[in-house]
Amino acid sequence: MPKKEMPSGALTLLILRVLKSGPMHGYAIAQRIHVLSSEVLQVEEGALYPALQKMLLNGWATSEWGVSETNRKVRFYRLTPAGRKHLAAALDDYNRVHEAIRAVLKTS
Amino acid sequence: MMTLLRRLYYLLNRRRFDEELANDLEFHREMSGREWHVPLGDTLRVREESRDAWGWTWIERCGQDLRYAARLLRTSPAFTLSALLMLAAGIGVNVAVFGFFSLIALQPLNVTEPDSLLRFHRRGVDQYAFSVPYQEAAFFREHARTLSAVIGVNRSSVFLEGERELQQSCFVTANFFSALGGGVQLGRVLHAERDEAPDAEPVVVLSDGFWRTHFGADRSIVGRSIRVNGQPATVVGVAAREFGGVGTGLNPPAFWAPIAQQPYFVKGSTLLTDWSVESPGVSLWGRLAPGQSAKAAEDELESLAAELRLQQPEAIWEGERLLSEPGGYAITMMAGTRRGTGAVVRRDPVYPVIGLVGTMTLLVLVVACGNLGSMLMARGVARQREISIRVAIGAGNGRLVRQLFTESLLLGLVGSAAGLALGATVLQGLLTATGSPAWMDATPGWRVATFALGMGFLSAILFGLTPALQIGRQRHRAHSARQILIGAQVAASCVLLIVAGLLARALNHATGSSPGFEYERVITMSPGLAENGYTAARARSYLEGMHERLRGISGVESVALALSPPLGRMTMTAVAQVDGRQVGFQMSHVSGEFFETMAIPVLRGRPLRTDERRVVVVSEALARQAWPGEDALGKSLELGDVFTVVGIVGHVRSLKFGETDTVQAYFPVEEHHWPSLTLLVKTADSPNALAGTVLTVARQVDPNLFPAVDLMSNAFRARLEGAEYSTLAVSSLGLLAQILACFGIIGVVSYSVSQRTREIGIRMALGAPPVRVLAVVLHHLTVPVSIGLAVGLLAAAGLSQVLRGRLYGLSHFDAGAYAGAIVLFLVTAVIAGAIPAQRALRVDPLQALRHE
Repeated sequence: MPKKEMPSGALTLLILRVLKSGPMHGYAIAQRIHVLSSEVLQVEEGALYPALQKMLLNGWATSEWGVSETNRKVRFYRLTPAGRKHLAAALDDYNRVHEAIRAVLKTS
Repeated sequence: MMTLLRRLYYLLNRRRFDEELANDLEFHREMSGREWHVPLGDTLRVREESRDAWGWTWIERCGQDLRYAARLLRTSPAFTLSALLMLAAGIGVNVAVFGFFSLIALQPLNVTEPDSLLRFHRRGVDQYAFSVPYQEAAFFREHARTLSAVIGVNRSSVFLEGERELQQSCFVTANFFSALGGGVQLGRVLHAERDEAPDAEPVVVLSDGFWRTHFGADRSIVGRSIRVNGQPATVVGVAAREFGGVGTGLNPPAFWAPIAQQPYFVKGSTLLTDWSVESPGVSLWGRLAPGQSAKAAEDELESLAAELRLQQPEAIWEGERLLSEPGGYAITMMAGTRRGTGAVVRRDPVYPVIGLVGTMTLLVLVVACGNLGSMLMARGVARQREISIRVAIGAGNGRLVRQLFTESLLLGLVGSAAGLALGATVLQGLLTATGSPAWMDATPGWRVATFALGMGFLSAILFGLTPALQIGRQRHRAHSARQILIGAQVAASCVLLIVAGLLARALNHATGSSPGFEYERVITMSPGLAENGYTAARARSYLEGMHERLRGISGVESVALALSPPLGRMTMTAVAQVDGRQVGFQMSHVSGEFFETMAIPVLRGRPLRTDERRVVVVSEALARQAWPGEDALGKSLELGDVFTVVGIVGHVRSLKFGETDTVQAYFPVEEHHWPSLTLLVKTADSPNALAGTVLTVARQVDPNLFPAVDLMSNAFRARLEGAEYSTLAVSSLGLLAQILACFGIIGVVSYSVSQRTREIGIRMALGAPPVRVLAVVLHHLTVPVSIGLAVGLLAAAGLSQVLRGRLYGLSHFDAGAYAGAIVLFLVTAVIAGAIPAQRALRVDPLQALRHE
């Protein structure tokens, strides 16, 4: 299965969605996306961490110290209410566009 | 908005966030290493990219550039020092000039709420006056609602016991101190209720300067009695050091006293009751009531004046308005107490002078920047290696230009700090040297500091941008840019030299040739009759008596009377109708002996006779201006009345900046002028000895008077001093620019020699004569220097046209000044070029060819 790079808007959307189920650290986010996409999507750290910084800056997520499953001190990212709102809006947008694209593709 | 705050938060805590990020990445690497064994990229790069999201990378880069630039400047101290000296000189002169301008025009006076302070002058349909009759001011003070305080200031000279010369003093409405927020260092200020009461004892508040210079800062002065015009008065206070008040010109008076007591000090004074425009009156200041505008105050005063006109139809003009200007600045005080006719109020020519000097100083900065620019270009070539390396390891074009420009910016900033210090020091030195009052403090405030910073930035752009672009683009043979820089330097310093030459010659002309009248042997005596309440008839008999007595003294050649004698404190201007055209001139009312006494030649016609009416004598220049190509004798001139020209006399120079001199009209003395006349006494030889005699005679005739007796030569020298200062200033600027330009030329030529060592060696090896070698070295200087000279000449010609309209009597085309400047410039340029060019001749061909 080829590993696909994805546009950063989509990455943000995925990260937000993943974080919706609870705070987690950067590596777990990447893992989760990888697993949930049936190992199609591979999130490179070079894309993940800049995206996370941008989310912190926009106030969609906050970070806090926690302890990883390997018993190491690491930052956990948590979705903020603003992040939730943004996720909802982004999902709406995405669904609308998705529907539209499907509608176009269906006409044959 | 929140994002911005968070961004700032990131900036402030960026070290901590960076560490957290590094930790994240390290953890990520650990985990993935354990599970997938995937090779990871460079974490540093990811970290940098992540940090980019915070948006502060440019600051870091800027910091890097700055650190690098600072290191670079430290490693070449010779370059840095000469660059900074050049910048300090260029920025310093600008700071000094701006500092002075700021002191008089931008920095508010040391009074409370300077912004709500207004100064008013009277404006009629065709006349104006900067002083207001006291009664009118008092009426405004009583009735104005838009003004929370109305202040009247009368400036008079008084005789203080123990002083040789008359002292300037101020009689003020007693609300003066409270309305202006002036404090005292000793005793008390004046109080409206207490010191304006009819039975108030006579009091004065000394100024700080007078207290120090004349009472040795004696702290027991309060309560002591001093004699003013022979009348005892109690010193009740000494004003705070920084308080200069308003209405006194730039120098604080000896003391302030309640205007209500002025008649007590000045016997017979009618200041408080005289409504006429000839009355000395007061300068009028107002403090806007909260929430009121200047327009509202003007409107209210206009309607109050109209109301007052019903009672005083003679005194208050038809349609009189009181026009306001901001009163909280020193420059407002320079208007003095002028009055005159005409629809336009003539302003003091302070701004053109400052504009002129400002232009000159900017040109000096241009020269300095041009110089620095050439230096940077030369340096850029020397740094070729470094720049190639930077390019090789991936520095982009923009990054390179930014780096180079940051260096210039750093130089500019340090230079502006040095310039600020230098400029403030120079200004303080000049202020101290010219005896300026204490409140004129050259310590730079935020305005001057900002200005210096701006200048530093501006010069960084001027000297740094072109070299940065040229070097950044790796154009090593940046000939054209260097030539433009040289040309600009030459042009700018050429303009400075020529204008300095023009001013110096104009001054020479003014001092060297006769001013058009006798001043060496004339004593002026202003008895101050009007101030002492003399009626016209009494004044006439007093002056005629004086005339007789003075004529009787041996050594006195002739005695005359004039209302506004040359070099006097008062000048009157008028605009008359001549054949339906408007002609402006200076006017005076003089007695018949005036022309003889002042040695002003009567060219045609005859002088005035005593008690003549409706005749006028005009100066030659006025005759030419008013009746071009015609014979002025017998022509008439309309100024209220119709006056017939009976004589044409030589013209008189006023030696004042901006004065349209040489255009004068002399009218006979009229009845109401007598109390304001000045006596002019011409002596057979040196007037020094007779000045005392004149004063003694005057004191015998009326001991209540304290006449001001002075030698006209003193006034003449004082008048010239101002012009000398300006010429000196402009000449020093010219000199400074010239020196800077010479350094520039030396630098460029030595650079050219060092670049062409090889070529010179080959030429010499092939047998080129020294002249050819020199020609090679200097060759590329000729074009920019000649273009620069041409541009400079044109600019100077244009500037002198502007100057001629506003300052002095500059001649049309002063070939001497132009030629002198060009010769001076070329000689110094050739010398400056020859010094490094010599090195070219000493090049050893063998050495040179082995070079590299």
